[in-house]
Amino acid sequence: MQSNRMLPNRSRTSVLVFLLPPLLLYGAAVLFPILQSLFLSFFSWNGISDMEFVGVDNYVRMFVADDIFWRAFLNALVYLAICLVLQLGGALVVASLLTSLRRGRELIKTLYLLPAVISTVAIAFLFVRIYSLEPVGLLNQLFHWMGLGSLERPWLSDVNTVLAAVSAPEGWRFTGLYMLIIYAALLAVPKELEEAAVLDGASRWTLFTKIRFPYIRPVWITTTIMATTYGLRGFDIPYLMTNGGPGQSSELLTTYMYKTAFTSTDFGYASTISVFIVVECLVAVGLILFLLKRKADA
Amino acid sequence: MITQTAPPTPPAAVVPVRPSGKRRRRRPDLFRTLSRVLIMLIVIVQVYPLAWLFLTSLRTEQDFATGDPFALPSSLTWENYARAFETGDLGRNILNSFIVTMGANILIVLLGMMAAYAIQVLGFRLSKLVRGLFLIGIIVPVQIALVPLFIDYAAVNLLDTYLSMIIPLAGFSLPMAIYLFCSFYEYIPKETYEAASLDGAGPYRIFGLITMPLSLNTVVTVVLVNSIFIWNDFIFANTFVLSEDLKTIPLGLQNYIGAMGKVDWTATFAAVCVTITPLLLVFLVLNKAMIQGLESGATKG
Repeated sequence: MQSNRMLPNRSRTSVLVFLLPPLLLYGAAVLFPILQSLFLSFFSWNGISDMEFVGVDNYVRMFVADDIFWRAFLNALVYLAICLVLQLGGALVVASLLTSLRRGRELIKTLYLLPAVISTVAIAFLFVRIYSLEPVGLLNQLFHWMGLGSLERPWLSDVNTVLAAVSAPEGWRFTGLYMLIIYAALLAVPKELEEAAVLDGASRWTLFTKIRFPYIRPVWITTTIMATTYGLRGFDIPYLMTNGGPGQSSELLTTYMYKTAFTSTDFGYASTISVFIVVECLVAVGLILFLLKRKADA
Repeated sequence: MITQTAPPTPPAAVVPVRPSGKRRRRRPDLFRTLSRVLIMLIVIVQVYPLAWLFLTSLRTEQDFATGDPFALPSSLTWENYARAFETGDLGRNILNSFIVTMGANILIVLLGMMAAYAIQVLGFRLSKLVRGLFLIGIIVPVQIALVPLFIDYAAVNLLDTYLSMIIPLAGFSLPMAIYLFCSFYEYIPKETYEAASLDGAGPYRIFGLITMPLSLNTVVTVVLVNSIFIWNDFIFANTFVLSEDLKTIPLGLQNYIGAMGKVDWTATFAAVCVTITPLLLVFLVLNKAMIQGLESGATKG
Protein backbone atom coordinates (compact mmCIF):
# COMPACT_ATOMS: atom_id res chain seq x y z
CA MET A 1 0.00 0.00 0.00
CA GLN A 2 2.89 2.38 0.61
CA SER A 3 4.73 4.55 -1.90
CA ASN A 4 4.89 2.95 -5.28
CA ARG A 5 8.11 3.33 -7.20
CA MET A 6 10.87 1.55 -5.42
CA LEU A 7 13.05 1.69 -8.50
CA PRO A 8 14.42 5.12 -9.37
CA ASN A 9 14.80 4.61 -13.10
CA ARG A 10 12.35 2.36 -14.83
CA SER A 11 10.78 2.90 -18.20
CA ARG A 12 7.12 2.82 -19.00
CA THR A 13 7.77 -0.15 -21.29
CA SER A 14 9.20 -2.19 -18.44
CA VAL A 15 5.96 -1.72 -16.48
CA LEU A 16 4.00 -2.94 -19.46
CA VAL A 17 6.31 -5.89 -20.02
CA PHE A 18 5.66 -7.09 -16.48
CA LEU A 19 2.01 -6.17 -16.26
CA LEU A 20 0.60 -7.21 -19.61
CA PRO A 21 1.11 -10.99 -19.50
CA PRO A 22 -0.67 -11.46 -16.15
CA LEU A 23 -3.43 -9.06 -17.16
CA LEU A 24 -3.86 -10.95 -20.40
CA LEU A 25 -4.37 -14.31 -18.69
CA TYR A 26 -6.58 -12.79 -16.02
CA GLY A 27 -8.57 -10.88 -18.60
CA ALA A 28 -9.10 -13.95 -20.76
CA ALA A 29 -10.03 -16.25 -17.88
CA VAL A 30 -11.91 -13.95 -15.52
CA LEU A 31 -12.70 -10.40 -16.62
CA PHE A 32 -13.74 -11.00 -20.19
CA PRO A 33 -16.02 -13.94 -19.29
CA ILE A 34 -17.81 -11.75 -16.73
CA LEU A 35 -18.51 -9.12 -19.40
CA GLN A 36 -19.46 -11.83 -21.85
CA SER A 37 -21.98 -13.27 -19.39
CA LEU A 38 -23.48 -9.84 -18.91
CA PHE A 39 -23.77 -9.49 -22.69
CA LEU A 40 -25.19 -12.97 -23.23
CA SER A 41 -27.78 -12.45 -20.50
CA PHE A 42 -29.71 -10.18 -22.89
CA PHE A 43 -29.90 -12.80 -25.62
CA SER A 44 -31.64 -16.03 -26.30
CA TRP A 45 -29.22 -18.56 -27.72
CA ASN A 46 -28.87 -22.32 -27.80
CA GLY A 47 -25.33 -22.32 -29.18
CA ILE A 48 -26.32 -23.38 -32.69
CA SER A 49 -28.97 -21.10 -34.17
CA ASP A 50 -28.55 -17.33 -34.49
CA MET A 51 -28.43 -15.28 -31.31
CA GLU A 52 -31.58 -13.32 -30.73
CA PHE A 53 -31.64 -10.11 -28.71
CA VAL A 54 -34.44 -10.31 -26.15
CA GLY A 55 -33.74 -7.29 -23.96
CA VAL A 56 -34.55 -7.89 -20.31
CA ASP A 57 -36.85 -10.85 -21.04
CA ASN A 58 -34.44 -13.28 -19.37
CA TYR A 59 -34.41 -11.20 -16.22
CA VAL A 60 -38.20 -10.91 -16.19
CA ARG A 61 -38.46 -14.65 -16.65
CA MET A 62 -36.01 -15.26 -13.83
CA PHE A 63 -37.60 -12.97 -11.27
CA VAL A 64 -41.27 -13.36 -12.16
CA ALA A 65 -41.93 -16.61 -13.93
CA ASP A 66 -39.34 -19.11 -12.76
CA ASP A 67 -40.31 -20.99 -9.60
CA ILE A 68 -37.27 -23.24 -9.84
CA PHE A 69 -35.02 -20.21 -9.71
CA TRP A 70 -36.53 -19.04 -6.44
CA ARG A 71 -36.45 -22.54 -5.02
CA ALA A 72 -32.78 -22.81 -5.93
CA PHE A 73 -32.07 -19.41 -4.43
CA LEU A 74 -33.67 -20.34 -1.10
CA ASN A 75 -31.88 -23.68 -1.12
CA ALA A 76 -28.59 -21.90 -1.74
CA LEU A 77 -29.22 -19.71 1.30
CA VAL A 78 -29.94 -22.74 3.49
CA TYR A 79 -26.84 -24.45 2.10
CA LEU A 80 -24.81 -21.34 2.90
CA ALA A 81 -26.22 -21.13 6.43
CA ILE A 82 -25.37 -24.76 7.19
CA CYS A 83 -21.86 -24.36 5.78
CA LEU A 84 -21.25 -21.18 7.77
CA VAL A 85 -22.42 -22.68 11.06
CA LEU A 86 -20.31 -25.81 10.59
CA GLN A 87 -17.24 -24.04 9.26
CA LEU A 88 -17.06 -20.83 11.25
CA GLY A 89 -18.78 -22.05 14.41
CA GLY A 90 -16.88 -25.32 14.40
CA ALA A 91 -13.64 -23.54 13.58
CA LEU A 92 -14.02 -21.05 16.40
CA VAL A 93 -14.88 -23.71 18.99
CA VAL A 94 -12.06 -26.05 18.02
CA ALA A 95 -9.51 -23.26 17.70
CA SER A 96 -10.39 -21.99 21.18
CA LEU A 97 -10.21 -25.47 22.65
CA LEU A 98 -6.94 -26.11 20.90
CA THR A 99 -5.24 -23.16 22.59
CA SER A 100 -5.96 -24.83 25.96
CA LEU A 101 -4.18 -28.03 24.96
CA ARG A 102 -0.58 -28.48 25.92
CA ARG A 103 0.44 -31.32 23.65
CA GLY A 104 -0.61 -32.67 20.31
CA ARG A 105 -1.66 -29.39 18.75
CA GLU A 106 0.29 -29.98 15.56
CA LEU A 107 -1.12 -33.47 15.15
CA ILE A 108 -4.67 -32.27 15.61
CA LYS A 109 -4.17 -29.44 13.15
CA THR A 110 -2.94 -31.91 10.56
CA LEU A 111 -5.71 -34.43 11.14
CA TYR A 112 -8.30 -31.72 11.09
CA LEU A 113 -7.12 -30.34 7.77
CA LEU A 114 -7.05 -33.76 6.14
CA PRO A 115 -10.50 -33.63 4.49
CA ALA A 116 -9.60 -30.36 2.74
CA VAL A 117 -6.99 -32.23 0.72
CA ILE A 118 -9.42 -34.76 -0.71
CA SER A 119 -11.25 -34.23 -3.99
CA THR A 120 -14.94 -33.49 -3.97
CA VAL A 121 -15.67 -36.53 -6.10
CA ALA A 122 -14.11 -38.78 -3.49
CA ILE A 123 -16.03 -36.98 -0.75
CA ALA A 124 -19.27 -37.35 -2.66
CA PHE A 125 -18.71 -41.10 -3.01
CA LEU A 126 -17.86 -41.36 0.66
CA PHE A 127 -20.95 -39.54 1.86
CA VAL A 128 -23.30 -41.38 -0.45
CA ARG A 129 -22.28 -44.48 1.50
CA ILE A 130 -22.43 -42.79 4.87
CA TYR A 131 -26.02 -41.71 4.25
CA SER A 132 -27.25 -44.89 2.63
CA LEU A 133 -29.92 -47.10 4.11
CA GLU A 134 -29.50 -50.23 2.03
CA PRO A 135 -26.90 -51.50 2.85
CA VAL A 136 -26.96 -49.61 6.08
CA GLY A 137 -24.46 -46.73 6.19
CA LEU A 138 -22.59 -45.22 9.10
CA LEU A 139 -25.15 -42.59 9.98
CA ASN A 140 -28.17 -44.87 10.07
CA GLN A 141 -26.24 -47.51 11.98
CA LEU A 142 -25.29 -44.88 14.53
CA PHE A 143 -28.90 -43.83 15.00
CA HIS A 144 -29.91 -47.45 15.28
CA TRP A 145 -27.47 -48.02 18.13
CA MET A 146 -28.57 -44.88 19.89
CA GLY A 147 -32.12 -46.20 19.84
CA LEU A 148 -33.24 -43.47 17.49
CA GLY A 149 -34.58 -45.90 14.92
CA SER A 150 -37.20 -43.40 13.84
CA LEU A 151 -34.44 -41.20 12.44
CA GLU A 152 -33.15 -43.90 10.14
CA ARG A 153 -33.90 -43.00 6.56
CA PRO A 154 -32.36 -42.77 3.10
CA TRP A 155 -31.05 -39.26 3.72
CA LEU A 156 -30.43 -38.45 0.09
CA SER A 157 -33.80 -39.48 -1.27
CA ASP A 158 -35.89 -37.95 1.47
CA VAL A 159 -36.97 -34.49 0.28
CA ASN A 160 -36.93 -33.17 3.84
CA THR A 161 -33.35 -34.10 4.63
CA VAL A 162 -31.56 -34.04 1.31
CA LEU A 163 -30.59 -30.36 1.39
CA ALA A 164 -29.00 -30.64 4.83
CA ALA A 165 -27.39 -33.91 3.78
CA VAL A 166 -25.62 -32.37 0.78
CA SER A 167 -24.59 -29.25 2.74
CA ALA A 168 -22.94 -31.04 5.63
CA PRO A 169 -20.04 -32.57 3.66
CA GLU A 170 -19.05 -29.16 2.33
CA GLY A 171 -19.05 -27.80 5.88
CA TRP A 172 -17.16 -30.84 7.16
CA ARG A 173 -14.52 -30.54 4.45
CA PHE A 174 -13.35 -27.01 5.16
CA THR A 175 -13.78 -26.65 8.93
CA GLY A 176 -10.10 -27.48 9.36
CA LEU A 177 -9.02 -24.74 7.00
CA TYR A 178 -10.89 -22.01 8.86
CA MET A 179 -9.90 -23.47 12.19
CA LEU A 180 -6.23 -23.05 11.25
CA ILE A 181 -6.68 -19.44 10.33
CA ILE A 182 -8.61 -18.57 13.49
CA TYR A 183 -6.20 -20.55 15.62
CA ALA A 184 -3.26 -18.60 14.21
CA ALA A 185 -5.09 -15.38 15.00
CA LEU A 186 -5.88 -16.50 18.56
CA LEU A 187 -2.23 -17.28 19.18
CA ALA A 188 -1.39 -13.71 18.23
CA VAL A 189 -3.55 -12.25 21.00
CA PRO A 190 -1.04 -10.62 23.38
CA LYS A 191 -0.60 -12.70 26.51
CA GLU A 192 -0.29 -9.60 28.70
CA LEU A 193 -3.83 -8.59 27.80
CA GLU A 194 -5.20 -11.99 28.76
CA GLU A 195 -3.20 -12.21 31.93
CA ALA A 196 -4.29 -8.75 33.02
CA ALA A 197 -7.91 -9.71 32.45
CA VAL A 198 -7.51 -12.93 34.43
CA LEU A 199 -5.96 -11.02 37.32
CA ASP A 200 -8.98 -8.76 37.26
CA GLY A 201 -11.07 -11.87 37.75
CA ALA A 202 -12.50 -12.15 34.26
CA SER A 203 -14.28 -15.42 33.55
CA ARG A 204 -13.42 -17.48 30.50
CA TRP A 205 -16.47 -16.17 28.76
CA THR A 206 -15.67 -12.49 29.33
CA LEU A 207 -12.07 -13.20 28.43
CA PHE A 208 -13.32 -14.53 25.13
CA THR A 209 -15.93 -11.89 24.32
CA LYS A 210 -14.08 -8.85 25.62
CA ILE A 211 -10.44 -9.62 24.78
CA ARG A 212 -9.92 -12.44 22.37
CA PHE A 213 -12.75 -11.98 19.93
CA PRO A 214 -12.33 -8.22 19.46
CA TYR A 215 -8.67 -8.85 18.87
CA ILE A 216 -9.22 -11.39 16.11
CA ARG A 217 -12.10 -9.48 14.52
CA PRO A 218 -10.16 -8.47 11.36
CA VAL A 219 -9.26 -12.10 10.72
CA TRP A 220 -12.82 -13.14 11.57
CA ILE A 221 -14.12 -10.76 8.89
CA THR A 222 -11.72 -12.22 6.31
CA THR A 223 -12.70 -15.77 7.23
CA THR A 224 -16.40 -14.94 7.09
CA ILE A 225 -15.96 -13.45 3.63
CA MET A 226 -13.98 -16.48 2.48
CA ALA A 227 -16.50 -18.95 3.85
CA THR A 228 -19.44 -17.02 2.43
CA THR A 229 -18.05 -16.65 -1.07
CA TYR A 230 -17.04 -20.30 -1.04
CA GLY A 231 -20.46 -21.31 0.24
CA LEU A 232 -22.21 -19.35 -2.48
CA ARG A 233 -20.14 -21.04 -5.17
CA GLY A 234 -20.74 -24.52 -3.75
CA PHE A 235 -21.45 -26.88 -6.61
CA ASP A 236 -19.46 -30.10 -6.78
CA ILE A 237 -20.92 -32.02 -3.88
CA PRO A 238 -24.64 -31.40 -4.50
CA TYR A 239 -24.14 -31.88 -8.23
CA LEU A 240 -22.34 -35.18 -7.75
CA MET A 241 -24.46 -36.59 -4.94
CA THR A 242 -27.98 -35.77 -6.05
CA ASN A 243 -27.72 -33.58 -9.16
CA GLY A 244 -30.21 -31.27 -7.47
CA GLY A 245 -32.79 -33.96 -6.82
CA PRO A 246 -35.05 -35.51 -5.82
CA GLY A 247 -37.15 -33.04 -7.76
CA GLN A 248 -35.62 -29.67 -7.02
CA SER A 249 -35.12 -30.24 -3.32
CA SER A 250 -31.33 -29.90 -3.34
CA GLU A 251 -31.02 -27.63 -6.38
CA LEU A 252 -28.67 -24.69 -5.83
CA LEU A 253 -28.35 -21.67 -8.09
CA THR A 254 -25.03 -23.00 -9.33
CA THR A 255 -26.33 -26.46 -10.23
CA TYR A 256 -29.42 -24.92 -11.82
CA MET A 257 -27.24 -22.60 -13.89
CA TYR A 258 -25.03 -25.50 -14.94
CA LYS A 259 -27.96 -27.63 -16.04
CA THR A 260 -29.59 -24.72 -17.86
CA ALA A 261 -26.36 -24.17 -19.76
CA PHE A 262 -25.14 -27.68 -20.48
CA THR A 263 -28.24 -29.86 -20.34
CA SER A 264 -30.88 -27.52 -21.78
CA THR A 265 -28.22 -25.56 -23.77
CA ASP A 266 -29.99 -22.32 -22.95
CA PHE A 267 -26.82 -20.20 -22.85
CA GLY A 268 -28.64 -16.87 -22.64
CA TYR A 269 -30.74 -17.74 -19.64
CA ALA A 270 -27.85 -19.53 -17.94
CA SER A 271 -25.80 -16.34 -18.26
CA THR A 272 -28.63 -14.40 -16.65
CA ILE A 273 -28.44 -16.73 -13.65
CA SER A 274 -24.63 -16.35 -13.61
CA VAL A 275 -24.96 -12.60 -13.48
CA PHE A 276 -27.32 -12.98 -10.55
CA ILE A 277 -24.81 -15.21 -8.75
CA VAL A 278 -22.06 -12.61 -9.20
CA VAL A 279 -24.30 -9.82 -7.91
CA GLU A 280 -25.32 -12.04 -5.00
CA CYS A 281 -21.65 -12.57 -4.06
CA LEU A 282 -20.84 -8.88 -4.26
CA VAL A 283 -23.88 -8.00 -2.16
CA ALA A 284 -22.95 -10.66 0.41
CA VAL A 285 -19.40 -9.33 0.76
CA GLY A 286 -20.65 -5.77 1.02
CA LEU A 287 -23.17 -6.80 3.66
CA ILE A 288 -20.56 -8.62 5.75
CA LEU A 289 -18.20 -5.65 5.65
CA PHE A 290 -21.04 -3.29 6.51
CA LEU A 291 -22.36 -5.34 9.43
CA LEU A 292 -19.08 -6.46 10.99
CA LYS A 293 -17.22 -3.19 10.53
CA ARG A 294 -20.11 -1.18 11.95
CA LYS A 295 -20.28 -3.40 15.00
CA ALA A 296 -16.56 -2.88 15.49
CA ASP A 297 -17.02 0.87 15.51
CA ALA A 298 -19.96 0.81 17.88
CA MET B 1 -5.95 -20.56 28.77
CA ILE B 2 -2.19 -20.32 28.68
CA THR B 3 -2.48 -18.40 31.93
CA GLN B 4 -3.66 -21.50 33.76
CA THR B 5 -0.63 -23.49 32.73
CA ALA B 6 1.33 -21.12 34.91
CA PRO B 7 4.83 -22.63 35.39
CA PRO B 8 6.87 -19.72 34.08
CA THR B 9 5.15 -17.02 36.18
CA PRO B 10 7.49 -14.71 38.06
CA PRO B 11 8.20 -16.46 41.39
CA ALA B 12 8.26 -13.35 43.60
CA ALA B 13 4.68 -12.44 42.90
CA VAL B 14 3.38 -15.99 43.14
CA VAL B 15 4.97 -17.24 46.35
CA PRO B 16 2.48 -15.75 48.80
CA VAL B 17 -0.52 -16.88 46.76
CA ARG B 18 0.67 -20.37 46.09
CA PRO B 19 -1.68 -22.34 48.39
CA SER B 20 -4.80 -20.81 46.90
CA GLY B 21 -3.21 -21.17 43.50
CA LYS B 22 -2.97 -24.88 44.03
CA ARG B 23 -6.57 -25.19 45.06
CA ARG B 24 -7.70 -23.19 42.09
CA ARG B 25 -5.88 -25.49 39.77
CA ARG B 26 -8.43 -28.24 40.14
CA ARG B 27 -11.20 -26.45 38.32
CA PRO B 28 -9.18 -25.61 35.22
CA ASP B 29 -8.17 -29.26 35.10
CA LEU B 30 -11.79 -30.25 34.79
CA PHE B 31 -12.15 -27.69 32.07
CA ARG B 32 -9.09 -28.99 30.31
CA THR B 33 -10.23 -32.60 30.50
CA LEU B 34 -13.58 -31.59 29.11
CA SER B 35 -12.07 -29.70 26.23
CA ARG B 36 -9.71 -32.56 25.57
CA VAL B 37 -12.62 -35.00 25.33
CA LEU B 38 -14.51 -32.61 23.10
CA ILE B 39 -11.54 -32.16 20.78
CA MET B 40 -11.07 -35.92 20.59
CA LEU B 41 -14.72 -36.37 19.66
CA ILE B 42 -14.52 -33.73 16.95
CA VAL B 43 -11.31 -35.18 15.57
CA ILE B 44 -12.93 -38.60 15.41
CA VAL B 45 -15.87 -37.21 13.47
CA GLN B 46 -13.41 -35.50 11.19
CA VAL B 47 -11.09 -38.41 10.58
CA TYR B 48 -13.19 -41.54 11.02
CA PRO B 49 -14.87 -41.31 7.60
CA LEU B 50 -11.44 -41.36 5.99
CA ALA B 51 -10.29 -44.33 8.02
CA TRP B 52 -13.53 -46.07 7.12
CA LEU B 53 -12.90 -45.32 3.46
CA PHE B 54 -9.55 -47.05 3.68
CA LEU B 55 -10.89 -50.04 5.60
CA THR B 56 -13.73 -50.48 3.14
CA SER B 57 -11.28 -50.58 0.27
CA LEU B 58 -9.81 -53.71 1.88
CA ARG B 59 -13.12 -55.47 2.52
CA THR B 60 -14.53 -58.24 0.42
CA GLU B 61 -17.60 -57.25 -1.55
CA GLN B 62 -19.82 -59.62 0.34
CA ASP B 63 -18.63 -58.34 3.68
CA PHE B 64 -19.41 -54.81 2.54
CA ALA B 65 -22.89 -55.58 1.27
CA THR B 66 -24.12 -57.43 4.32
CA GLY B 67 -22.01 -56.47 7.30
CA ASP B 68 -22.28 -53.83 9.96
CA PRO B 69 -20.47 -50.79 8.51
CA PHE B 70 -18.61 -50.08 11.75
CA ALA B 71 -17.29 -53.61 12.13
CA LEU B 72 -13.72 -54.42 11.24
CA PRO B 73 -13.44 -56.31 7.97
CA SER B 74 -13.76 -60.08 8.44
CA SER B 75 -10.91 -60.62 6.03
CA LEU B 76 -8.57 -58.30 4.20
CA THR B 77 -8.19 -58.39 0.45
CA TRP B 78 -6.23 -56.47 -2.17
CA GLU B 79 -8.55 -57.68 -4.87
CA ASN B 80 -10.44 -54.39 -4.90
CA TYR B 81 -7.28 -52.60 -5.90
CA ALA B 82 -6.75 -55.00 -8.78
CA ARG B 83 -10.32 -54.39 -9.96
CA ALA B 84 -9.86 -50.63 -9.52
CA PHE B 85 -6.90 -50.65 -11.88
CA GLU B 86 -8.78 -52.81 -14.37
CA THR B 87 -11.87 -50.59 -14.48
CA GLY B 88 -10.19 -47.25 -14.91
CA ASP B 89 -6.96 -45.81 -16.19
CA LEU B 90 -5.75 -44.51 -12.85
CA GLY B 91 -2.15 -44.00 -13.95
CA ARG B 92 -3.29 -41.88 -16.86
CA ASN B 93 -5.60 -39.84 -14.60
CA ILE B 94 -2.84 -39.17 -12.12
CA LEU B 95 -0.47 -38.12 -14.90
CA ASN B 96 -3.08 -35.74 -16.32
CA SER B 97 -3.76 -34.19 -12.95
CA PHE B 98 -0.03 -33.76 -12.55
CA ILE B 99 0.32 -32.02 -15.92
CA VAL B 100 -2.56 -29.66 -15.23
CA THR B 101 -1.35 -28.86 -11.72
CA MET B 102 2.19 -28.20 -12.91
CA GLY B 103 1.08 -26.10 -15.86
CA ALA B 104 -1.26 -23.97 -13.82
CA ASN B 105 1.29 -23.53 -11.03
CA ILE B 106 4.00 -22.38 -13.41
CA LEU B 107 1.66 -19.75 -14.85
CA ILE B 108 0.46 -18.65 -11.43
CA VAL B 109 3.93 -18.28 -9.95
CA LEU B 110 5.55 -16.59 -12.93
CA LEU B 111 2.69 -14.23 -13.78
CA GLY B 112 1.94 -13.59 -10.12
CA MET B 113 5.51 -12.49 -9.47
CA MET B 114 5.50 -10.31 -12.57
CA ALA B 115 2.27 -8.54 -11.68
CA ALA B 116 3.34 -8.03 -8.08
CA TYR B 117 6.68 -6.66 -9.28
CA ALA B 118 4.94 -4.18 -11.56
CA ILE B 119 2.44 -3.13 -8.89
CA GLN B 120 4.64 -3.09 -5.83
CA VAL B 121 8.17 -2.44 -7.03
CA LEU B 122 7.96 -0.57 -10.33
CA GLY B 123 4.78 1.29 -9.46
CA PHE B 124 2.57 3.20 -11.87
CA ARG B 125 -0.29 5.61 -11.72
CA LEU B 126 -3.22 3.22 -12.07
CA SER B 127 -1.84 0.56 -9.74
CA LYS B 128 -4.77 0.99 -7.32
CA LEU B 129 -7.21 0.30 -10.13
CA VAL B 130 -5.30 -2.81 -11.21
CA ARG B 131 -5.29 -4.11 -7.64
CA GLY B 132 -9.05 -3.58 -7.55
CA LEU B 133 -9.49 -5.50 -10.79
CA PHE B 134 -7.63 -8.44 -9.34
CA LEU B 135 -9.73 -8.32 -6.18
CA ILE B 136 -12.81 -9.11 -8.28
CA GLY B 137 -11.33 -12.51 -9.09
CA ILE B 138 -11.19 -13.45 -5.42
CA ILE B 139 -14.85 -12.67 -4.78
CA VAL B 140 -16.49 -13.85 -7.97
CA PRO B 141 -17.46 -17.54 -8.20
CA VAL B 142 -15.72 -19.60 -10.84
CA GLN B 143 -19.00 -20.77 -12.36
CA ILE B 144 -19.47 -17.41 -14.06
CA ALA B 145 -16.71 -18.31 -16.51
CA LEU B 146 -18.11 -21.67 -17.60
CA VAL B 147 -20.54 -20.64 -20.33
CA PRO B 148 -18.39 -17.87 -21.86
CA LEU B 149 -15.24 -20.00 -21.84
CA PHE B 150 -17.10 -22.94 -23.33
CA ILE B 151 -18.23 -20.71 -26.21
CA ASP B 152 -14.81 -19.11 -26.64
CA TYR B 153 -12.98 -22.43 -26.54
CA ALA B 154 -15.31 -23.83 -29.17
CA ALA B 155 -14.50 -20.83 -31.37
CA VAL B 156 -10.72 -21.24 -31.13
CA ASN B 157 -10.66 -25.04 -30.90
CA LEU B 158 -9.41 -25.24 -27.35
CA LEU B 159 -12.14 -27.53 -26.04
CA ASP B 160 -10.84 -30.84 -24.78
CA THR B 161 -7.21 -29.78 -24.22
CA TYR B 162 -4.98 -29.41 -21.19
CA LEU B 163 -4.97 -25.67 -21.77
CA SER B 164 -8.74 -25.47 -21.45
CA MET B 165 -8.35 -26.52 -17.81
CA ILE B 166 -5.10 -24.69 -17.09
CA ILE B 167 -6.23 -21.23 -18.26
CA PRO B 168 -9.21 -20.74 -15.93
CA LEU B 169 -7.56 -22.55 -13.01
CA ALA B 170 -4.54 -20.26 -13.27
CA GLY B 171 -6.64 -17.19 -13.95
CA PHE B 172 -8.82 -17.60 -10.89
CA SER B 173 -5.87 -18.39 -8.61
CA LEU B 174 -3.76 -15.50 -9.86
CA PRO B 175 -5.26 -12.74 -7.64
CA MET B 176 -4.45 -14.52 -4.37
CA ALA B 177 -0.90 -15.19 -5.58
CA ILE B 178 -0.44 -11.55 -6.56
CA TYR B 179 -1.57 -10.41 -3.12
CA LEU B 180 0.81 -12.80 -1.40
CA PHE B 181 3.74 -11.69 -3.56
CA CYS B 182 2.81 -8.02 -3.13
CA SER B 183 2.70 -8.25 0.63
CA PHE B 184 6.10 -9.93 0.57
CA TYR B 185 7.68 -7.40 -1.83
CA GLU B 186 6.59 -4.64 0.50
CA TYR B 187 9.23 -5.85 2.94
CA ILE B 188 12.18 -5.89 0.55
CA PRO B 189 14.04 -2.71 1.55
CA LYS B 190 14.29 0.07 -0.98
CA GLU B 191 18.05 0.23 -0.48
CA THR B 192 18.51 -3.20 -2.05
CA TYR B 193 17.05 -1.91 -5.27
CA GLU B 194 18.87 1.41 -5.15
CA ALA B 195 22.21 -0.30 -4.76
CA ALA B 196 21.49 -2.54 -7.73
CA SER B 197 20.35 0.44 -9.78
CA LEU B 198 23.58 2.28 -9.07
CA ASP B 199 25.46 -0.74 -10.35
CA GLY B 200 23.64 -0.21 -13.60
CA ALA B 201 21.06 -3.02 -13.36
CA GLY B 202 17.78 -2.31 -15.13
CA PRO B 203 14.32 -3.49 -14.03
CA TYR B 204 14.63 -6.83 -15.87
CA ARG B 205 17.95 -7.78 -14.32
CA ILE B 206 16.80 -6.70 -10.90
CA PHE B 207 13.70 -8.88 -11.27
CA GLY B 208 15.75 -11.87 -12.37
CA LEU B 209 18.65 -11.47 -9.98
CA ILE B 210 17.09 -10.01 -6.84
CA THR B 211 13.32 -10.21 -6.64
CA MET B 212 12.82 -13.70 -8.03
CA PRO B 213 15.42 -15.50 -5.91
CA LEU B 214 14.20 -13.72 -2.78
CA SER B 215 10.62 -14.87 -3.41
CA LEU B 216 11.36 -18.55 -2.96
CA ASN B 217 9.49 -18.94 0.33
CA THR B 218 6.41 -17.22 -1.00
CA VAL B 219 6.59 -19.41 -4.10
CA VAL B 220 6.41 -22.52 -1.93
CA THR B 221 3.38 -21.13 -0.12
CA VAL B 222 1.61 -20.20 -3.33
CA VAL B 223 2.29 -23.55 -4.99
CA LEU B 224 1.19 -25.62 -2.00
CA VAL B 225 -2.04 -23.76 -1.43
CA ASN B 226 -3.02 -23.67 -5.08
CA SER B 227 -2.11 -27.28 -5.70
CA ILE B 228 -4.81 -28.50 -3.32
CA PHE B 229 -7.48 -26.71 -5.28
CA ILE B 230 -6.12 -27.39 -8.75
CA TRP B 231 -5.37 -31.07 -8.18
CA ASN B 232 -8.94 -31.57 -7.05
CA ASP B 233 -10.66 -29.36 -9.61
CA PHE B 234 -13.83 -30.95 -10.86
CA ILE B 235 -15.93 -28.28 -12.48
CA PHE B 236 -13.60 -27.03 -15.23
CA ALA B 237 -12.45 -30.50 -16.14
CA ASN B 238 -16.02 -31.76 -16.20
CA THR B 239 -17.15 -28.93 -18.47
CA PHE B 240 -14.30 -28.71 -20.96
CA VAL B 241 -12.87 -32.21 -21.21
CA LEU B 242 -14.55 -35.11 -22.96
CA SER B 243 -11.91 -37.57 -24.13
CA GLU B 244 -10.72 -40.36 -21.82
CA ASP B 245 -7.09 -39.51 -22.54
CA LEU B 246 -7.30 -36.12 -20.88
CA LYS B 247 -9.39 -36.99 -17.85
CA THR B 248 -7.96 -35.89 -14.53
CA ILE B 249 -8.43 -37.77 -11.27
CA PRO B 250 -11.83 -36.34 -10.30
CA LEU B 251 -13.27 -37.26 -13.70
CA GLY B 252 -11.56 -40.63 -13.72
CA LEU B 253 -13.25 -41.51 -10.44
CA GLN B 254 -16.63 -40.91 -12.00
CA ASN B 255 -16.01 -43.78 -14.41
CA TYR B 256 -16.59 -46.12 -11.50
CA ILE B 257 -20.27 -45.39 -11.63
CA GLY B 258 -21.32 -48.13 -14.00
CA ALA B 259 -24.35 -48.49 -16.20
CA MET B 260 -27.70 -47.87 -14.44
CA GLY B 261 -25.85 -46.05 -11.67
CA LYS B 262 -24.68 -49.35 -10.24
CA VAL B 263 -21.43 -48.91 -8.41
CA ASP B 264 -18.76 -51.41 -7.50
CA TRP B 265 -18.22 -49.75 -4.13
CA THR B 266 -15.24 -51.60 -2.78
CA ALA B 267 -13.31 -51.11 -6.03
CA THR B 268 -14.38 -47.47 -6.12
CA PHE B 269 -13.10 -46.92 -2.62
CA ALA B 270 -9.85 -48.60 -3.59
CA ALA B 271 -9.58 -46.20 -6.52
CA VAL B 272 -10.32 -43.26 -4.25
CA CYS B 273 -7.55 -44.41 -1.93
CA VAL B 274 -5.09 -44.65 -4.81
CA THR B 275 -5.94 -41.22 -6.16
CA ILE B 276 -5.81 -39.34 -2.87
CA THR B 277 -2.44 -40.87 -1.98
CA PRO B 278 -0.12 -38.55 -3.97
CA LEU B 279 -1.54 -35.33 -2.57
CA LEU B 280 -1.92 -36.86 0.86
CA LEU B 281 1.76 -37.81 0.93
CA VAL B 282 2.81 -34.34 -0.15
CA PHE B 283 0.50 -32.92 2.48
CA LEU B 284 1.80 -35.09 5.27
CA VAL B 285 5.42 -34.41 4.38
CA LEU B 286 5.01 -30.69 3.87
CA ASN B 287 2.10 -30.04 6.19
CA LYS B 288 4.01 -27.50 8.24
CA ALA B 289 4.77 -25.37 5.23
CA MET B 290 1.26 -25.85 3.90
CA ILE B 291 -0.38 -24.92 7.19
CA GLN B 292 1.79 -21.83 7.41
CA GLY B 293 0.86 -20.94 3.88
CA LEU B 294 -2.84 -21.26 4.51
CA GLU B 295 -2.59 -19.20 7.68
CA SER B 296 -0.60 -16.39 6.13
CA GLY B 297 -2.73 -16.47 3.00
CA ALA B 298 -5.83 -15.57 4.93
CA THR B 299 -4.41 -13.20 7.50
CA LYS B 300 -2.74 -11.16 4.82
CA GLY B 301 -5.37 -11.50 2.10
